[in-house]
Amino acid sequence: MAEEFLLSDDFLRQLMSVGEVDLLVGIPSHNNAATIGRVVETIEQTFQRGFPRERVVIINVDGGSTDGTSDILKNAAVQRSSGSRGLTSLRTERRIVTRYGSAPSSGIAFRTLLAAADLLRAKACAVISPDASNLTEAWVGHLLEPIYKQNFDFVAPLYCRHKYDGLLARNLLYPMGRAVFGKRLREFHASDLGFSGRLASHCLNQDAWRESPVEAAPETWMAVTSLASDFRCCQSFLGPKAQSTTASATDIVAVVRQIVGALFWSLESQESVWIGRVGSEPIPTFGPDHELESNGMRVNRERIFELFRSGVSELSPILKSILAADTEAEIQRVAAQDEQNFRFDHALWTRTLCDFAAAYHHSVLNRDHVVQALVPLYRGRIYSFLSQHQDSSADEIEADSEKLCLEFERQKPYLVEKWKVRSEVKP
Amino acid sequence: MADRSPTLWYKDAVIYQLHVRAFCDSNNDGIGDFPGLMQKLNYLQGLGINALWLMPFFPSPLRDDGYDIADYTSVHKNYGNLEEFKAFLVAAHERGIKIVIELVLNHTSDQHVWFQEARSSRDNPKRDWYVWSDTDDRYKDARIIFLDTEMSNWAWDPVSKSYYWHRFFSHQPDLNYDNPAVFEAMWGVMKFWCDIGVDGFRLDAVPYLVERDGTNCENLPETHAIIREFRKRLSEEYPDKMLLAEANQWPADVSAYFGNGDEFHMAFHFPLMPRIFMAVQLEDRKPIVEILEQTPQIPENCQWCIFLRNHDELTLEMVTDVERDYMYDEYAKDKSMRLNLGIRRRLAPMMDNDRRRIQLLNVLLMSMPGTPIIYYGDEIGMGDNIYLGDRNGVRTPMQWSGGWNSGFSAADPEKLYSPLISNPVYGYQAINVDAQTRSPHSLLNWMKRLIEVRKSSRVFSRGTIEFLMPSNHRVLAYVRRLESEKILVVNNLSSSAQAVELDLQAHKGNIPIEMSGRNLFPRIGDMPYLLTLGPYESYGFRLRRL
Repeated sequence: MAEEFLLSDDFLRQLMSVGEVDLLVGIPSHNNAATIGRVVETIEQTFQRGFPRERVVIINVDGGSTDGTSDILKNAAVQRSSGSRGLTSLRTERRIVTRYGSAPSSGIAFRTLLAAADLLRAKACAVISPDASNLTEAWVGHLLEPIYKQNFDFVAPLYCRHKYDGLLARNLLYPMGRAVFGKRLREFHASDLGFSGRLASHCLNQDAWRESPVEAAPETWMAVTSLASDFRCCQSFLGPKAQSTTASATDIVAVVRQIVGALFWSLESQESVWIGRVGSEPIPTFGPDHELESNGMRVNRERIFELFRSGVSELSPILKSILAADTEAEIQRVAAQDEQNFRFDHALWTRTLCDFAAAYHHSVLNRDHVVQALVPLYRGRIYSFLSQHQDSSADEIEADSEKLCLEFERQKPYLVEKWKVRSEVKP
Repeated sequence: MADRSPTLWYKDAVIYQLHVRAFCDSNNDGIGDFPGLMQKLNYLQGLGINALWLMPFFPSPLRDDGYDIADYTSVHKNYGNLEEFKAFLVAAHERGIKIVIELVLNHTSDQHVWFQEARSSRDNPKRDWYVWSDTDDRYKDARIIFLDTEMSNWAWDPVSKSYYWHRFFSHQPDLNYDNPAVFEAMWGVMKFWCDIGVDGFRLDAVPYLVERDGTNCENLPETHAIIREFRKRLSEEYPDKMLLAEANQWPADVSAYFGNGDEFHMAFHFPLMPRIFMAVQLEDRKPIVEILEQTPQIPENCQWCIFLRNHDELTLEMVTDVERDYMYDEYAKDKSMRLNLGIRRRLAPMMDNDRRRIQLLNVLLMSMPGTPIIYYGDEIGMGDNIYLGDRNGVRTPMQWSGGWNSGFSAADPEKLYSPLISNPVYGYQAINVDAQTRSPHSLLNWMKRLIEVRKSSRVFSRGTIEFLMPSNHRVLAYVRRLESEKILVVNNLSSSAQAVELDLQAHKGNIPIEMSGRNLFPRIGDMPYLLTLGPYESYGFRLRRL
């Protein structure tokens, strides 16, 4: 049987020709022909203006595009400065492309980039979303500079978001991740991030790649790995986040399964690190910590509430096996409220997530089913948020988020107890 | 009837640049001279060069190392006299060595009798031989070239109470080429030396001959008209003499000085030179390929001159700001090394005395299109002294031996026109011709073999160049071609070993024969041709179809 390798011979040959680099920017793609050209041009402008002397490479890892994405990337025009007599950068700018299959896979794409970073001994790396239609030079620089110039290992992005955007991060990933790992990292799952060659090599050499949560959300796993280890982490403000319109981004079930599943899995793999941590501390931040805007965005709240209620009803037996009795009873009570009075408060939401995390840990059901069962409750939480903050200012929303975070930190002992208690009765 | 058609000898030349003062002192006054230089012609012939470019040796107050000329038709007494020059010229020609001398067209010394007359009175017949003004606000768009020393292109003359124009030092007033008498006087100078027998002229500072308000006073059409007239007369009366332009400009602007083959025969490719240094430091061929791809075609009877270093600072005028900063940071970390937008260091110190890098640069010099110029002393890896003023640190005495004054002069060491390089790395005890002559694997002997390879084929001197662009950007590879003859040159610009796959399909069926060892390499087939090269290694292959 022929041996399978992560890196194809052709890709390896391209890496050989590139040689050692200082900066590597990876773009995982799948049918991004509409935006990829501008993305690569912006990245090269960043190189020319911000890093003119560095050895650089752009690597596109494509998962079966059928719209010519990689060809567009390879053929995008080289940027020439008008005042330099047609001379471009000091160094040869490299763009290389590899294709790994007929369907996209976050895990394969990310792992390929880590392998490239390792082989090329890259000092600083960034992953850029291929559909970042509002990408700027500053954006790319803000991901690379903390690593290249200040020796950080992991850079999470910070965005200016609409107040109704990034709700999974605001209501679940950030408060839970902060309470568990003791570090105030806002974006646990981001399609734009930076990492050092050192961190890339570390992650590449872990056995975790066989695990489906890591395969589904490797960025989350890397964030958690960094927080749990002695890698230096920071976050860097990039700018307005363009809303993704791809099907995968709007499929809430898939998003929760992948990202929350990865978070829960990470809790398990890093148990020895977070169990004893208390409270949280800020991490170095470049630029504003957060920015919210509130231009008109239409959300179908009624539909969200309907799905919450029907989900609670249909999954009642499953919820009974996941949640603590009082948590489940409280959820049934709030599900009976009318829309105007409905509130899924911080305390209940926090307890809910703790119960789910513990249930995942103890595999009370198939783990994927545990995570999937969270989706309607998450919808309920979101409906509550949207209702409560219809007219809220950015500061008010931020203040409320802080309360949620503090609630998680207050209830961490509950999580630890649930985590441990069931493990004592685990066969 | 003798054939007076031009032989284009300059295309096949390997030029050696030297200053008479620095080469060999025969009369123990501490200064090199023509009899001393004549004694060293056998050395130069043995090196393999076939043309000498002599820096100015005319009477001069020597405030700009002889580029401030006080008498165009004589020899400075420090270097000998006209008879000794003629004897040297004959001896050089007997050894097949052509002689190219300087002709500073743009300006004279303020001690020249022409200027002394011109300044004496506004009515003097020679007044208009220079450019005068009652104010210093004309030609405002002209840049200052010697930025470190000059504040203006105008200088106040207290004698005639007016300003005079000078693009270089203030003691070098510019001649006024709007005055036909100036042209005729300089043509007379050219004829004088042609009649003595010199083979060519390096015309210093040619872009600046003419000034016009509202322009930057460089490369003006009137300047080209003057050059064309010089060339026309030269070609008619002395068809095999050569004119070499010193025009530090971008390639498109320099190529204008070739005209339609009716201006200069040769011109220095200034923008290429710093990019060779950049490419080796970056370990990336891009700077070299990019500038050569921008270089326009030139007339068939014309030729670029290429060089690594010379008597001036390594100029960084024709590079971008980013490139300049890079060159300063990499090659002139000590700010004493910087002068006038350039770097005043020799080749070997710039290469950190790395023999491999020195060799690589010389291979590029000898194999790329153009006539190569070797700066005296670089063939043995001489060092520099950045603590000497101006550019004198790269103009120290030639190092012949490890003995008294390095064999340059029998005078007391204190009497030498310049101190010798004497540190443990580059000092004359370590770096000298005698020692390197004795060692078969010295840099000197390697240079001799390289020059031999260069001269072995006119492909290098007259052929085209086609860059191969392998995906490994640390390898610079090109094919030189002249008629049916082809030479493949492959250079590793990197400090580490490299593998490279070359697309040689166009040469399928040829056998690469390595030029120094003459060993056969596998025949070129359909597949990419794989080569591996050690750090800074180069291969030259003759491609033969058998």
